[in-house]
Amino acid sequence: MSSQHAFASETQRETTGKGRQLVAMKELDKVYGNGTVALSDVNMTINEGEFICFLGPSGCGKSTIFKLIAGLEERTRGDIEILGMSPKEARKQSDIAFVFQDHTLLPWCSVIDNVMLPLKLRGVPKQERLQEAERVLALVGLSDHRKSLPRHLSGGMKMRVSIARALASRPKLLLMDEPFGALDEITRQSLQDELLKIWQQDPSMTVLFVTHNTFEAVYLSTQIVAMTARPGRVSAVLNVDEPFPRDDSFRTSAAFSQWVRTVSEHMQH
Amino acid sequence: MKNNVQPSAAGHAYASSKSTTDSGKPVIAQRNSAFKGWGVKILPPLIAFVVFIGGWELIVKLLGTPAYIFPKPSDIVRAAAENFNNLMVSVWTTIVEAVLGFLLSIVLGIGGAILLASNRYIEKAIYPYAVILQTIPIVAIAPIIVIWFGAGTNAIVIISFLIGFFPMLSNTLIGLHSTDTNMLNLFTLYNASPLQTMWRLRIPAALPYIVAGLKISCTLAVVGAIVGEYVAGIGGGKGGLGYAITIAASQLQTAFLFAAGLSASVLGIGLFLIVNYLSSLLLSSWHESEMKK
Repeated sequence: MSSQHAFASETQRETTGKGRQLVAMKELDKVYGNGTVALSDVNMTINEGEFICFLGPSGCGKSTIFKLIAGLEERTRGDIEILGMSPKEARKQSDIAFVFQDHTLLPWCSVIDNVMLPLKLRGVPKQERLQEAERVLALVGLSDHRKSLPRHLSGGMKMRVSIARALASRPKLLLMDEPFGALDEITRQSLQDELLKIWQQDPSMTVLFVTHNTFEAVYLSTQIVAMTARPGRVSAVLNVDEPFPRDDSFRTSAAFSQWVRTVSEHMQH
Repeated sequence: MKNNVQPSAAGHAYASSKSTTDSGKPVIAQRNSAFKGWGVKILPPLIAFVVFIGGWELIVKLLGTPAYIFPKPSDIVRAAAENFNNLMVSVWTTIVEAVLGFLLSIVLGIGGAILLASNRYIEKAIYPYAVILQTIPIVAIAPIIVIWFGAGTNAIVIISFLIGFFPMLSNTLIGLHSTDTNMLNLFTLYNASPLQTMWRLRIPAALPYIVAGLKISCTLAVVGAIVGEYVAGIGGGKGGLGYAITIAASQLQTAFLFAAGLSASVLGIGLFLIVNYLSSLLLSSWHESEMKK
């Protein structure tokens, strides 16, 4: 099994057949003002419809890649394109949504107001906003809590609201920066399952997911991008060609542990 | 019935667990335990107060100190009662001046902070001078303000405003700058305009800081009004507490002086309590410092 799976090291991946090319990074470098080399020579293409996990130790530039894609940081060298546009242009079209490790909900707004925030900022009419918010709250199973304030919710529920808010802008690209890092294992697993379900319902949605948890990466992704630190480099890209839908039986399967072992080996290089 | 009224720990537990299910009895038990809580809270300071006032009255009486040097509490009460109308007119005048000054410092303090926070260059250019302005003792420039605005309410309100303005400005500014970075990133990601970010994120997030500023400024506004009255005097209208204090001091009406001083502090406490209450209303829905325990 381990010898059979396809992976490519430090090479550009060809389209896997699921969709068109969404993100292209070419010889991408990022050096921060204090001289820290966060990313060095990153070459990668990301295709529509994938679920990609960026896996690596802290300081490997996972979050920096995200900030470059979201247009929150400027690249130092190289090229980055999203659907043929610059990250900022793509953002202006509301194609990108972000979920942080911290839930980043406005504490003074109810759940539904928090979810409607991106739509409100974009000037979507109220009726439409409400409809859309109800839709995404139903997706994450929180319709009954629409009037609650964030501080009355558990950590897992807050994260659900945060995911709902990201989905409310109907993004083509969903960036998730260690969203489940602060949650307990049980909540984490149920949120992983829900996230996969939501992703499978929308074949055009691409999820990029940062984690330092190998189990999480194997369970969720179609593709794992393994990264090493100082300077941040892509050390391997692995296609996790296990079928969806995945559930608890996959978590306990021999194939799963084999994947975890393979990925761990790549992480140590 | 009697079992329920017992103000014991069991009665308390009964009240808290059953207060919604049963109709009459638990309410009595609850009121009883609430009364007990008040007793614990109110009784010790009340006893201390009575001992202090009684001791003061007794010692001054025994020593036979004349009232113009050190009045007894009974002298103070008598002086306040005899001049009650004058005292109330003074208190009212000072309230109006302090509240006007306070409102001005709120509007201009918060407005100024929003202006400074919305542009880094404006802030860098102006904020240092605002700090320097604050270090000038208000008493030192009060006469200038009286020259410019005339001896009277205008000058007093402006002095009261000046003393409360800076805490409002600096607190609001710190609050506007302490927005969570991830939250700001989020607003950037959703293409929010600077105005939207200010209105929907930075100002609400700064609310706890603004409230802290309000609490400082409201007591300072009373101080400012009285200082203003010292300098500006009566100015044709009715004199406030500061004016009453200067007159009483010059005529050695020490008992009335005490009454006026006490009224001033009661005024300050009252204003503070009102601001405190309003701010807890403002924040209670979300901020932890004001959350009910």
